Amino acid sequence: MAITILAPAPAAAALPPRDHVRDSNDDDDSDNSDNGGVNLQGDFDKGSRPAKRARHTDIITPGETVTDDSQWMRGHGTYIAPASTEIIATVAGTVQKTNKLLSVRPLRARYTPEIGDLVVGRIVEVQSKRWRVDVGAPVFAGLPLSAINLPGGILRKRTETDELQIRTFFSEGDLLVAEVQSLHQDGSASLHTRSLKFGKLRNGIFMSVSGMGGGGGVVRAKRQVWMIHTAGGGGEVDVILGVNGYIWISKHIEAAGGDTAITRIEEKISSTVYSSQNDEISVETRTEIARIGSVIQLLVQEGVKIEEETISKAYEAAVGVASLNQGEGSGYLGGELGRIVMADVGKSS
Amino acid sequence: MPSSMSQQILLSPAELSYLHTSLSSSPPIRPDGRSSTQFRPLIAETDILPGTNGSARICFADGTEAIVGVKAEVEKSRARYTHADEDGEGIVEEDEGRGLNEWVELCVEIPGMRDDDSMPVFLAAMMSEALLADGEFTRRLYINRRFHWKLYLDILLLSQPSSYPLPLLSLTTHLALLLTKFPRLKSEKDEDPLFDDDWDASVFLYPRSSTKSFDRPPVTLLVMSVNGNIMFDPSKEELSVAEVVLAVSVGERSRSEEGDMVIDSGKTRDLRLLAVRTIDPPSRLTHPGVPNALNTATGGSAADTSEKASGQRETMAEGSVWQPPRGGAKRHQIAAMIQKVLEQGGVAEEVMAGLDGVDLG
Repeated sequence: MAITILAPAPAAAALPPRDHVRDSNDDDDSDNSDNGGVNLQGDFDKGSRPAKRARHTDIITPGETVTDDSQWMRGHGTYIAPASTEIIATVAGTVQKTNKLLSVRPLRARYTPEIGDLVVGRIVEVQSKRWRVDVGAPVFAGLPLSAINLPGGILRKRTETDELQIRTFFSEGDLLVAEVQSLHQDGSASLHTRSLKFGKLRNGIFMSVSGMGGGGGVVRAKRQVWMIHTAGGGGEVDVILGVNGYIWISKHIEAAGGDTAITRIEEKISSTVYSSQNDEISVETRTEIARIGSVIQLLVQEGVKIEEETISKAYEAAVGVASLNQGEGSGYLGGELGRIVMADVGKSS
Repeated sequence: MPSSMSQQILLSPAELSYLHTSLSSSPPIRPDGRSSTQFRPLIAETDILPGTNGSARICFADGTEAIVGVKAEVEKSRARYTHADEDGEGIVEEDEGRGLNEWVELCVEIPGMRDDDSMPVFLAAMMSEALLADGEFTRRLYINRRFHWKLYLDILLLSQPSSYPLPLLSLTTHLALLLTKFPRLKSEKDEDPLFDDDWDASVFLYPRSSTKSFDRPPVTLLVMSVNGNIMFDPSKEELSVAEVVLAVSVGERSRSEEGDMVIDSGKTRDLRLLAVRTIDPPSRLTHPGVPNALNTATGGSAADTSEKASGQRETMAEGSVWQPPRGGAKRHQIAAMIQKVLEQGGVAEEVMAGLDGVDLG
């Protein structure tokens, strides 16, 4: 069947079970001695206002009053209108209480850069001495010409010649993996690629999932970059999970030569570091790269955290399912196969 | 036509080259693992707007969503100045039951775009073309010599169009039109039309018969081809490396005559090709990749003049770096794509079968 048409599922199924969320709130209450007698929305007396309670879910929407009690301090995602004590949410999300600090955790948010984050970005603009990079943050990040490796690993001051051929390093649309070096006042990040781990990306596919916030998305983990030994003769595949939710899946390229001298490595690799020409990639590898991509898409759809463990588990399950369902299109995990894979993942964990 | 919507996607030459070679291999390896004729699952709902004569909503897997409402009103037909008055009634009789294209008003709305932007205008033109192509549709709107139904089709895209929204809008319109009902006519002949109050007695615009096949509104499918591989329901990324993109409109006729059944009894549906449009693929607007040999950053040497550079690029081995497709669609390629849609057991048949499965209220 080429096309599957489904009937709409009730929206309630998508929400987490209510009771579970309530329980966690109740736990908060117990060590906070019942909120200090404050009437917080969502925490009111269970018997007195049943109608309102039935309507209320634990998600707060922008503009909704969280509380009008003045003893609470406002945190992220809230504001207090002038000449009032009402704390009003500015984002849609769940209320979080830390002692007397009220904040709203957004369901979905853009990436907020932090120093040391590994990010995947796309060049959107080339300026005279730097690139503007889309990293999924509210503002573009900057990558100064002085913060990249020159081909061949030469260490020298950047000259006008470098400025003139800035597009030979990165031009519009190019993808790169970089690290956040510093943050500016306006929250924009400054990136650098001064390591062999970083640089231009090729030999693979890009995908974007929501980073941070909500249930799913990429989370900061110990390992953001690793290698998967794929099934079906696909060889080794690198996965780069940018903290910003941008993901790169590519064929693993062995560093050429066995020379381990630090300076030599630099020379060897740097000759292809700014190449935009792909290597020869076998059909098997391409199939497996596509499979890893659809596994990640499936995890996002199911609201599962994207990290090494979940991806590896789901990938194994997907390989197992695909071996049972041979044939064209068995790699697509958007429909029935996806449910089987998720069931397998649930069983093994 | 300019595909202003999809060109905004920015991909690096390495990605484009990877996608292109993946899609060129046989069978093509699509980035989401689908087979070449597989569609992404979609969610469909019908009869959602009580104030309309027919409505539908479809939600694609990539989050794009569309709503279509069909509203009909009775309108006085424009007096037709034919030669009938002079020559007799013969020609008038021939005119009986004929519809005019102006009886249908189709309007596409896309968030963030003005009414007169090229994208909605072109989409509306393409869809009304498919609808009006064979003149069968407007015939259904005929009431009598003095009156007709005027049909307003409001097509609303609710989300940002993440890929070319034509198939989504067309499928939603198809479902809405299938569900469109008119009140039953009580008056006769050329009287002022009088309708039955009872909505239960209303009649479908496309009357269903008990047999599986009945007349259906057109469906427009998006077909793309890369290096001879034909793919359906292309995603945004796939479109950005497409060589040829076609919008193929297909309609279905009921099989009325018994004799017809005997002749080709193997065929289950009588599919008709209504319209074909080529769509300018966004891949033409991408930048070519720079091969290592011409890149100073990778140890190559850049050509000193632009003529030399283009000369070197022309003689380069194909497939090593991304090159935007050049030239138009080949005739045999278009023929192959249409064939793939229409052939027995082909995609159009499966799509129609899938649409049959939708609960039609």
